[in-house]
Amino acid sequence: MTDSFSAREFVAGFLAEAEEHLGAAGKRLVEVADAADRGRAAPRQVRELYRSLHTLKGLAAMVDVAPVVELAHALETALQEADAAGGRLGVEGADLVGEGVRAIEARVAALEAGRPVADAPPELVGRLLAYHVPEPPAAERATGGDEALFARLDASERALLEQGLDEGKSAYSLEFSPSDERYAAGLTITAVRGRVEQHGELVRVVPRSVAPSPRAPGGLTFSVLFLSSEPPSALSRAFGVEESDLRLLRGPRGEARPTASVVGTSADEGPSTPAVSEAPSLAEPLAEPLETLPEPPPDAAPVPLARGMIRVEVERLDDVLERLSDLVLLRFRFEAEIEALAGRGVDVRRLEDLSAEHRRHLRALQGVVMRARTVPVSELLERLPLLVRGLAKEHGKQVALVVDKGREELDKAVAERLFPALVHLVRNAIDHGLEAPEERRARGKREEGTLAIRSTSGTRGFLELTIEDDGRGVDVARVAERAGVAAPKEHEELLRLLRQPGLSTRQAAGRTSGRGLGVDIAMRVVEELGGEVALRTAEGQGTAFLLRVPLSISIIEGLVVRCSDERYVIPSAVVDEIVEVEPARVLSPPGDERRGVAWMERRGTTLPLLRLARLTGRTEAQVPREKAVVVRRRDELFAFGVDRVLSQQEVVVRRLRDPLVRVAGVVGATDLGDGRPVLVLDPVALAGQRPPGETAVEAQA
Amino acid sequence: MHNILVVDDSRVMREMIVAALRGLEGLAFTHAASGLEAIERLSLHPFELMVLDVNMPDVNGFEVLEFVRSQDRLRALPVLVLTSRSDARSKERALAAGASRYMAKPFEPQELLAAARELLAPADGGAT
Repeated sequence: MTDSFSAREFVAGFLAEAEEHLGAAGKRLVEVADAADRGRAAPRQVRELYRSLHTLKGLAAMVDVAPVVELAHALETALQEADAAGGRLGVEGADLVGEGVRAIEARVAALEAGRPVADAPPELVGRLLAYHVPEPPAAERATGGDEALFARLDASERALLEQGLDEGKSAYSLEFSPSDERYAAGLTITAVRGRVEQHGELVRVVPRSVAPSPRAPGGLTFSVLFLSSEPPSALSRAFGVEESDLRLLRGPRGEARPTASVVGTSADEGPSTPAVSEAPSLAEPLAEPLETLPEPPPDAAPVPLARGMIRVEVERLDDVLERLSDLVLLRFRFEAEIEALAGRGVDVRRLEDLSAEHRRHLRALQGVVMRARTVPVSELLERLPLLVRGLAKEHGKQVALVVDKGREELDKAVAERLFPALVHLVRNAIDHGLEAPEERRARGKREEGTLAIRSTSGTRGFLELTIEDDGRGVDVARVAERAGVAAPKEHEELLRLLRQPGLSTRQAAGRTSGRGLGVDIAMRVVEELGGEVALRTAEGQGTAFLLRVPLSISIIEGLVVRCSDERYVIPSAVVDEIVEVEPARVLSPPGDERRGVAWMERRGTTLPLLRLARLTGRTEAQVPREKAVVVRRRDELFAFGVDRVLSQQEVVVRRLRDPLVRVAGVVGATDLGDGRPVLVLDPVALAGQRPPGETAVEAQA
Repeated sequence: MHNILVVDDSRVMREMIVAALRGLEGLAFTHAASGLEAIERLSLHPFELMVLDVNMPDVNGFEVLEFVRSQDRLRALPVLVLTSRSDARSKERALAAGASRYMAKPFEPQELLAAARELLAPADGGAT
């Protein structure tokens, strides 16, 4: 019998689910840690955290990643402790769990990158397994009356109930009996839970066997215990039940009801429900269940639980884009044919209308696909709080993280590649930038340092991210000394110095930062995406890195130019204008001419004129009526001389994937329709490099 | 046609279980992502086998088992329980709660298949 089963197939699924669970765990952990800082319990979050880790453990076991299983198991143990203590995780416990989660994250990342997965650190595992929650403050609240009811709840659920009642909510029980009709109408226990969770907080669902009846054909009723601050009338409307179907177990604090009573006045209208003088114990089934949910009206649609979502690999969307690009190119040929017909005297108006309509649809389709690939920037930034917490603790710094998420959305492929760069810069700020609390105090600063991350949309099509700290700033003199050059006077120069790998004013590599500042890696990533990095620093005051990345690197509006028999594409977003080069207005001062830089006069200012041919290492052709493409980078203008400007069109950019080819200034390649690849350039980045003869193709680290 | 109820809160895990059992013919699979869903399904439809993860949140596998064994109708339902390898107590607890068989995760697909075949066999009248 052929074995049709291979665990390897499922690794991709594991990675995707793992990412989700780790993300959820990270968020919950921050909430638990905050609660711990304030000396409060967080029973719900502890449970959810446990849930995520538990699932991770099972998945990891299936795909045989033992270190993750071990770590997840140890974390589960610690969280079980916390759960048993009523959802309390002390401050140390929160830090410990955070360490464990980060250890798992690192190993999952290794698995994804095809690197070997390190064993679980035995010391961390030991500490997690041995974790005990410090004694909670005394006083079990008296619950009185409905003691039997709450007997089925465990410590954590009871704490949840207390928490909710303290917050002014009421505790209810909703009885739901499944049936085939309800199931077919989408009214399942899961759907009912979902509705309840939308209007309150679920404490527990208790399944009870009952005698089969028309109301409960399966012989089963679920008692759904929940907390809510909404009044019974609103709840019954929202759930589609009679008010009499909801039992109020506990009013908000201060109104403890001695017995469970039937709420609402519809008792006369509805079928008779037994008036109970004592709260029925959930341990014994009722002789007859209270009124269950009625059939929903025929045209009621079941409440959708989750927005219909589907997981799609980004590569599949890339494929769609490539098909689209073929269609776009075909359209140009159509239009060329139409023009040719017009030239022969044919009436092409109808054709032109159709072509224009076609173009609109294609454009709309492109928009849809591009939007499908985008993720909000906030997704990129929401992993940071946990990271910052860990780094702060590790380096003994106090860090207040301020995140301004903005509303931008960017291409998933960009986001994925940008995240490691962001992480490097954040590490940098916490390790090198921010001072230790004592030092800050000595400098008259607040002990807690601030790390601010802001996202704004800059120029059209670009995202600007600022990573700013109020630390000690870059020690310009020392950096220059280490590099053996004079102290740079401008931030640009300083940045160039900082990005040299291996340059560090530290003797030994820090555990997380390694040699150098990681700035080189971050900058490389951003430039490969077709973006740029800027630096602002003031000694003693702080440092800010500004990253500017295109929102999408897949479809761009591009200017096609010819230069020395080669065609290139320059993104239109950076192009200010195209001018004709008038020799009379070009100056080449002696020193500059050797470097191939001339100066061009334009509307009262001079801009540097760089020949693209020279930048790409080709021989310059002498061309009559040379054109210059004027490119803007922030406030500066550069002119790039080309032979001819051919056209402006949308192109689909394919990133260069060969790890051996990483040339700054080359964003990717595209196909203009004749099958020959054409490079897409970022001319300013290209100009920032040394002349072609000296530029080495950097191998990927 | 044997109806199999696969209960695990992870979709990937459920898919692995279904994949492992693909070798058997005549199986129809129903998925339940929680203990509550499992109980609900069991109350409404007949099944010939349930594959159950005991370590789920909310109503966990043990509660499902206890509920199942407390129902006359379901008392004879074969239940194959999946426990975590590192959790020895679960095995005893599973058997005490009424599991027909237990298996540790990660499971060997062939073993799962063999166990399922055995548990389904009596219904076939012992066809081998």
